[in-house]
Amino acid sequence: MRAYFKFEFIQFMFNKKNIAIYVILLFFACFYALKMAPSYDPIEQVDREEIEARFLTREDFLTNLVIDENTYPLTRFAAAIYPEWNEYDKQRLDAIDNNDLKKYAESTYKWYEYSDFMIFRNGRDLLYYNPRYYTAGNLYATEDGHYAYMYSASRFKGYAEGNSDLSMDVFEERTALQTLQRLLHGYLPLILLVSCILFTADIVLKDKRNPTLIKGFPISIWKRLLVKGGIALIGSFLTVVPLSVGFFIIAIQNGFGDLKLPVPIFSYEARAFTMISMGEYLFQNTLLILFWFMLLISLLLLISITIRNEFANLALGLVVVFAEFYYYVRGLGFVKDIQWYPSSYVQVGQIIAGYREYLNNSIELNLTNGLLVMSACTAVCLLITFLISNRRGFKYLR
Amino acid sequence: MMELKNIGVNFSGRDILKEVSITFHPREIIGLVAPNGTGKSTLMNVIMNYLRPNSGKVLFNNELEYTTKSNEVKIHKLVSMMPDQSDLYNHLSGKQHLKIYSSMWDSNPELIESTIKALGMESYVNKKTGTYSLGMRQRLCFAMQIVSDTQIMLMDEVMNGLDPTQVEIISQTLVKKKAEEKTIIIASHLLENLEKYANRIFFVKNGKLDLVEDIYKDLGVNGNAVIRIPEGTAELKDKLSVAYPELNIQLLANSVMLVELPKGGSGILEKVSAFLSENHKQAFSVGKMSLSDLYSKYYH
Repeated sequence: MRAYFKFEFIQFMFNKKNIAIYVILLFFACFYALKMAPSYDPIEQVDREEIEARFLTREDFLTNLVIDENTYPLTRFAAAIYPEWNEYDKQRLDAIDNNDLKKYAESTYKWYEYSDFMIFRNGRDLLYYNPRYYTAGNLYATEDGHYAYMYSASRFKGYAEGNSDLSMDVFEERTALQTLQRLLHGYLPLILLVSCILFTADIVLKDKRNPTLIKGFPISIWKRLLVKGGIALIGSFLTVVPLSVGFFIIAIQNGFGDLKLPVPIFSYEARAFTMISMGEYLFQNTLLILFWFMLLISLLLLISITIRNEFANLALGLVVVFAEFYYYVRGLGFVKDIQWYPSSYVQVGQIIAGYREYLNNSIELNLTNGLLVMSACTAVCLLITFLISNRRGFKYLR
Repeated sequence: MMELKNIGVNFSGRDILKEVSITFHPREIIGLVAPNGTGKSTLMNVIMNYLRPNSGKVLFNNELEYTTKSNEVKIHKLVSMMPDQSDLYNHLSGKQHLKIYSSMWDSNPELIESTIKALGMESYVNKKTGTYSLGMRQRLCFAMQIVSDTQIMLMDEVMNGLDPTQVEIISQTLVKKKAEEKTIIIASHLLENLEKYANRIFFVKNGKLDLVEDIYKDLGVNGNAVIRIPEGTAELKDKLSVAYPELNIQLLANSVMLVELPKGGSGILEKVSAFLSENHKQAFSVGKMSLSDLYSKYYH
């Protein structure tokens, strides 16, 4: 088995298609690190001018305000809520001027918490989140703003209470680890899963090109498939190598970040954020991606020995990964048990962060259920593959 | 030891192999000879279990047969089939191929170097096989099977694309392997070579394996001398038949004419020689019927 592993691994690493995938990922990583990451423009950023403009406007309003029996109710409302709000903005400005990052984190966390409370609970249709949430066609701008403010409040609270090294790059989530976190929240899992499909699609069927060389090997078909699956899994994880080039470029530009940095995790049940460390967040992402890889690989191995067509491998693998785009609508989890579909867990970072719970109004779309569904599907695929490959009349290569 | 018991293979109603029963022993080189498409490769595929026979079974060392997948693995440790040269990985070197086969069968790694040396592959074995000529590829495939060092070795057209020197080198290697208690089954069209090294040669016809010795006996030519006329014609045959009606005269597909000399028929050789001289046929020889002639006669 060890010899066969070595043989297959050499095949995998010499495969032109696989080399092309790694090269494309390397290009993508460099392009992202050099072009896209520096132009990252977060909605929630450290903007002294914006804070100062808001502070001065409100301060001016409060200074010149005279409240009497004729004062309009909304003016009274503003007069009631602005002093505390402005106090937090004042603290933020002082912290920036004094370069007291800890103090900035503390006042910013309070600012976000207070802002969200005022906008979401007390000021609906009167107060608004950052205008950049209100994009054309976004029916959920307020909800998006609410989530972002809760998230930011939780994040800055974590910075204030933690002992990680702080910087403006950390506040704007620009460090290498935080960039990775943002990418995991976005399209990086999809890129990894598609790479896994591309690696696995031909790992069995390529043997059709060298049948007489391979057929007589003294190793069972089941073991061959296991070895091939293992190689595909290792190969899929090796995508980390080209991608890490981009990671290190970002680390040089904006700092590495800190594995102890807090990452807010939303719980739909508690309607609140809790905190885990960046290290734990990345570990949980890796775990769910590992289970995704195993599911895709076992599925493609099964298709390889039944349908025996590379295009079918690609098509069915992509259907599993992208199926969510077909059925997903916001809030669907509240009315439908989508937690039992493997494809509901494709946005790995969002699952771990609890964002999918928030979007789907469901407590079910979490890591535990994800691992359960993935492992159950993987077990079924492997069991069927085992039974088929051990049938006496089964031929590995026809 | 390998025993084929009543092996029958049928494709679309046509019998490719019919009730084939035969035993192959260690220290044996077996030659399989037949025109293309008569069942040689099918037989090898059945032995490897690449093809499941419609009837019968293959028994290895009196105990193992293809009843389960785990048995198949055990059997494939004992028996190997030479890969086809077109299936080599062009991006790997010859030596890498040899290492793959050696490690897959867990054979003695020293066999790699000794085989490279024995087959004269030192100059190119480290180059990628994509740069190899047909003969080099063929030698590599042979070497791969040698380093696998299995008890039974199946070789389909092993001498294809090889020059006479290489054929001789490979033949010597086969003889050495035979001395190491191996059973070697070769399908080949190099009849003279087979005649020289094979312990038993079978012709495959109508789904049956016919031992050459038996064919000789059946033809009544075993042990008898024949006059072999390379450029025979139907006209010459007719003339000779009229002149010597007691003689058994055959005109083969390869235009060779065989005149069987009966035992104790002294004087006939001189008469036939004179007859041939009169008919301007100076080139002829006397001796046992060659395998090549037998082949032509058998498949005519």
